[in-house]
Amino acid sequence: MSRYIIRRLIQAVPLLFFISIVLFLLMQASGDPLATLGGRQPPRAEDRERLKRQMGLDQPPLVQYFIWLVGNDWMVVNDETGETGARRGVIRGDFGTSFVTRQPVIEVIWERMPNTLILMGTAEVVIIIVSLTIGVISAVRQYSLLDTVATGFSFVAYSIPVFLMGLMLMYIFAVRFRQWGLPYLPISGMFDPTVGRTFDQIARHLVLPVMTISLISIATYSRYIRSTMLEVINSDYIRTARAKGLSERRTLFVHAFKNASLPIVTLIGLDLPFLLAGAVVTETIFAWPGMGRLFIDHLTRSDYPVLMGLLMMISVAVVIFQLLTDVVYTWLDPRIRYT
Amino acid sequence: MATSSQAKPITLNDQTTANYSRVRRTLNRFLRHRVAVVGLVVLIAIVLFVTLGALWYSEADANYNDTKRSLLAPNAEFPLGTDTIGRNILARIIYGGQISMLIGVTAVTVSVLVGTTVGVFSGYFGGVVDSLLMRFTEAMLSIPSLLLLLVMAKFFSGRIPQQEFLGRTFSGSVIVIVVIIGLTSWMYLARIVRSAVLSIRETEYVMAAQALGATHRRIILAHILPNTLAPVIVAATLGVASAILSEAYISFLGVGVQPPTATWGNMLEGSRRYIDDAPWLWIFPGLMIVLTVMSINFVGDGLRDALDPRSDKKV
Amino acid sequence: MNRKYAFVLLAALALMVGLAAPAAAQGKTLTVSWPQEPDSLNPMYTTMTFAGYTYQLFLAATWEFDENYELVPILVGEIPSAGNGGISEDGTTFTLKLKDGLTWSDGDPLDSADFVFTYEMYMSDKNTPLTRTPWEEFESIEAPDPTTVVIKFAEPYAPWSGQLSLRPIPEHILRPVFEADGTLDNAAWNSNPTVGSGAFILQEWDRGNFARFAPNPNFAMGAPKIETLVVTFIPDDQAYVASLEAGDSELGTFIDPRDVPRLQDAGLDVRLIPSGYNEGWFLNASPERAHPAMTDLRVRKAIALGFDRFSMVEDLLGGVLPVGHSYWEQTPYANPDLPPVPYDPEQAKALLDEAGWVDTNGNGIRDKDGVELELRFISTTRQIRQDMKALAQQQLGEIGIGISIENYESNVFFNGYAEGGPAATGQYDIATWSSSPGGFPDPDTNRFQCDQVPSDDNPVGGNWNYYCDPALDELFAKSRVTTDFDERVAIYHQIDKLIYDSYIWINTWYDADIWVVGSRVQNARLNGTTPFFDVVNWDVAG
Repeated sequence: MSRYIIRRLIQAVPLLFFISIVLFLLMQASGDPLATLGGRQPPRAEDRERLKRQMGLDQPPLVQYFIWLVGNDWMVVNDETGETGARRGVIRGDFGTSFVTRQPVIEVIWERMPNTLILMGTAEVVIIIVSLTIGVISAVRQYSLLDTVATGFSFVAYSIPVFLMGLMLMYIFAVRFRQWGLPYLPISGMFDPTVGRTFDQIARHLVLPVMTISLISIATYSRYIRSTMLEVINSDYIRTARAKGLSERRTLFVHAFKNASLPIVTLIGLDLPFLLAGAVVTETIFAWPGMGRLFIDHLTRSDYPVLMGLLMMISVAVVIFQLLTDVVYTWLDPRIRYT
Repeated sequence: MATSSQAKPITLNDQTTANYSRVRRTLNRFLRHRVAVVGLVVLIAIVLFVTLGALWYSEADANYNDTKRSLLAPNAEFPLGTDTIGRNILARIIYGGQISMLIGVTAVTVSVLVGTTVGVFSGYFGGVVDSLLMRFTEAMLSIPSLLLLLVMAKFFSGRIPQQEFLGRTFSGSVIVIVVIIGLTSWMYLARIVRSAVLSIRETEYVMAAQALGATHRRIILAHILPNTLAPVIVAATLGVASAILSEAYISFLGVGVQPPTATWGNMLEGSRRYIDDAPWLWIFPGLMIVLTVMSINFVGDGLRDALDPRSDKKV
Repeated sequence: MNRKYAFVLLAALALMVGLAAPAAAQGKTLTVSWPQEPDSLNPMYTTMTFAGYTYQLFLAATWEFDENYELVPILVGEIPSAGNGGISEDGTTFTLKLKDGLTWSDGDPLDSADFVFTYEMYMSDKNTPLTRTPWEEFESIEAPDPTTVVIKFAEPYAPWSGQLSLRPIPEHILRPVFEADGTLDNAAWNSNPTVGSGAFILQEWDRGNFARFAPNPNFAMGAPKIETLVVTFIPDDQAYVASLEAGDSELGTFIDPRDVPRLQDAGLDVRLIPSGYNEGWFLNASPERAHPAMTDLRVRKAIALGFDRFSMVEDLLGGVLPVGHSYWEQTPYANPDLPPVPYDPEQAKALLDEAGWVDTNGNGIRDKDGVELELRFISTTRQIRQDMKALAQQQLGEIGIGISIENYESNVFFNGYAEGGPAATGQYDIATWSSSPGGFPDPDTNRFQCDQVPSDDNPVGGNWNYYCDPALDELFAKSRVTTDFDERVAIYHQIDKLIYDSYIWINTWYDADIWVVGSRVQNARLNGTTPFFDVVNWDVAG
């Protein structure tokens, strides 16, 4: 098993390397970080030329990539003084500094990470609990009212883009509820700054974004859970278990469920990192100060050290979650062996 | 297909009859799938609406603005209201729908071309070609496509000038969007095609063709491609829905199709500001997106069941 | 499975509770809100408007402009003048006399060495300040004694009143950082400047949320009356306006003009504050880069006459911001005898006919010698500009000018000549953006002059109109060495008239900043560049 994990990790290296070079070159050409510098007017051309030189943006893209990857602390950057660079490169854990805030990229991302984790963690918990409940019940009670309603709902929800879901929820629970004099929910930010970052505040502000994210995922997951449960329930060994006189509950929840969870684990494991990216839209609509919002904000300033940091982090997460999924797979189904 | 019938004239009749009855069986299975039929009817209705709607409103009507009549609520003259600069939303939904659908279909064409090519080469030749192409596919799959779309949309922004096509003027960004959606959505298709090719490659008749000295090109075109058609059709149908959604996402985030060309997606851009004052700005284009995507998904599901003979189970 | 996710749930909850640290608001509290969050709080590292507003709270300047653009001494005892010996007779040497006993908020003395240090930091090649203006124009800066700063220029320096409003950074905090790191670029102080010289000092900046300030008892003008000042960041327009309307925020700006009636109805004080900006159409007059018709003054005039800016401003901007005529609108430098260009499509058509542009092939677009009058209109993707271009496309179409619309992301649009920016390289016929003379309230600009036409030899040129009139160059040159205010104004009136008559820049609206002041806020005197110049005297009602 451990040999398998090590081999998979080694295989991931060229993959990540390839991803990074494609993204870096694409990013290089997709906007100039010095074009506006966040001001209302473009910077003076003299300052721009100086900054370009000082920040190494005048180097050819491949050289910039090389420096981003392995650093420049071993090469002379100033011929007159013989001074060497200060960057250590991604492979030694230095993602560079943000063009916008001048903070280390790791720090910029780290500041936003808890906010995204709160949002996505809560959403993920809601998604799993609700879709498991709906999925299992509609499999056990096939063609019941709940099953029909859930089926209908999932077909609709599956076709709704996240931002439209956000707008609709906002319109109903914030705008309309206020007009009707009902208690309404906040639509932007993480808490009311005059009240502060209290549990109550964050919980309230979480409701709409979490609903937005989870409704669509619940639609997909619950269908998936339903069909895998159905397959298992109708399989031979469950019939055997029933025939052996095991209680219906035990049969369903121990035997059927464990086997049905196999594909579910895959789905959730593979989706998790992408959920992070999906937060881009939700965080934009609800002004949630997380990593998705960070991506959009820094994209408009072409702050590619931060953008590269975020994208590479997600890519690494994808690789790790794929591996984890495989590992959990073997744990759930002893028939599967990796060597 | 033409080459295939010329290649084996003797079996032509057999094949045609076989194809004919297969098509009928498929059609019957599809028609039994009630939801898919409803989806198809709705989809046809939407297509008719955005094409025949052009008889009521000209494209000039869709772009005609008058700030004196901006943000009017739906009324007799403007059944779906007007936008911030007084354009008729109904007319824009009709013309925007044409563009959205066009983007959906052409983007999928790009993605089918790329995906099939990668899949066929990978599956047919195997070995180094296969592992290189599959690593590349994996790399593309590891980057969330929305983020990739955003970066690519910025990369191409403003590089392609306005285009004349079928007597209409399109913003250059339409082409950009088609290409980038196509280039970020071919990966699943490539995998589907690859696995189909892998199973077909080992079949007796392909081996026979190889033994008879048929060229790779002939084998791929005449024997392999036609047999991967079913999964490709299903994936492409569902792909149209997701391409329409992708366009809506990036337009909503402000880097999609640029005005004056309307799409359902960019009609939604900026509507968040008017969420309570003018909900008609986002409700109608939003509704069209949902209806279209939903009906295409239904049709896709129906096709999958109809084209896959093993799928006898109910959905 | 279930255990794993129960763990995730617990972790998320623990995280939330762990972060639950309520903002401690004490006594008289004022909440200010910005629609954008500063990137850095060190003036060296930001050109963002809202960063500029924010650092004024904790960094004091030599002097500030008041709401009438009169100078108010802060760190200096007296504004330098020829009379008090502060400005040498030839206008090249400025002597700034600091007040006695100035200290930073931590009690360390604030003296002339801090100014010299600040100069060193801006000019050091180890640092990457976003701009070196005005520091790089100094011939020398000296500190003969702790309260005297002497700045020398090579030539008489006309824009001194705006440019020498300098904000020193604390040497005792930053010199050790510079020596240890070899650069100030990554100094913690840049994002956590808890030592300052202004009316307030930063207590906490929670990125993405708020920054909280407490009074600085050591401020040169005394301690402020407000006891807690919270700046919140609300990036969403809708929520921003709602927050002001509800009174959750009591000061804000960059309001969409269409929201003004709503805010006024809520009893808020809405003010138009000039910041030097005007939205205007730049018409490209380059014989090589623009459409051939654009070099013809009559065509440019027809473009200006053919677009109804008055209706647009009325309907899209709620009539809040007026149409202007000048690049220096509503300042003394604008020529008062010039009216805004009227909307007159008939005259526009006559001018185009006269210039030989007529529709010979009946396609609705005028042409001449086989060339169609099809112009490229470019801008950033901002909504109001997209709307304006759609209106212009229709109205100019009615007089026979075809318009093709192009939108660019702002970080592509504003690229310079060397980077191939569409405006800088003249890849347009009409372009619209909001611009200001760089050093407002000083009127000097790098636009409209022949020697500023960008080229491979001069990629830094700011004349993106590619228009050249030697008479304008002469006037601008003269204004730069004229230190007498009235004389300078007279020169600018001539400049204004020449630009107006050449139809290379058309004012679409006077782009003043819209500020909203809550009803509890007292004595809030504001100006458009340094809104907090008098924050020490602000108060909030019980």
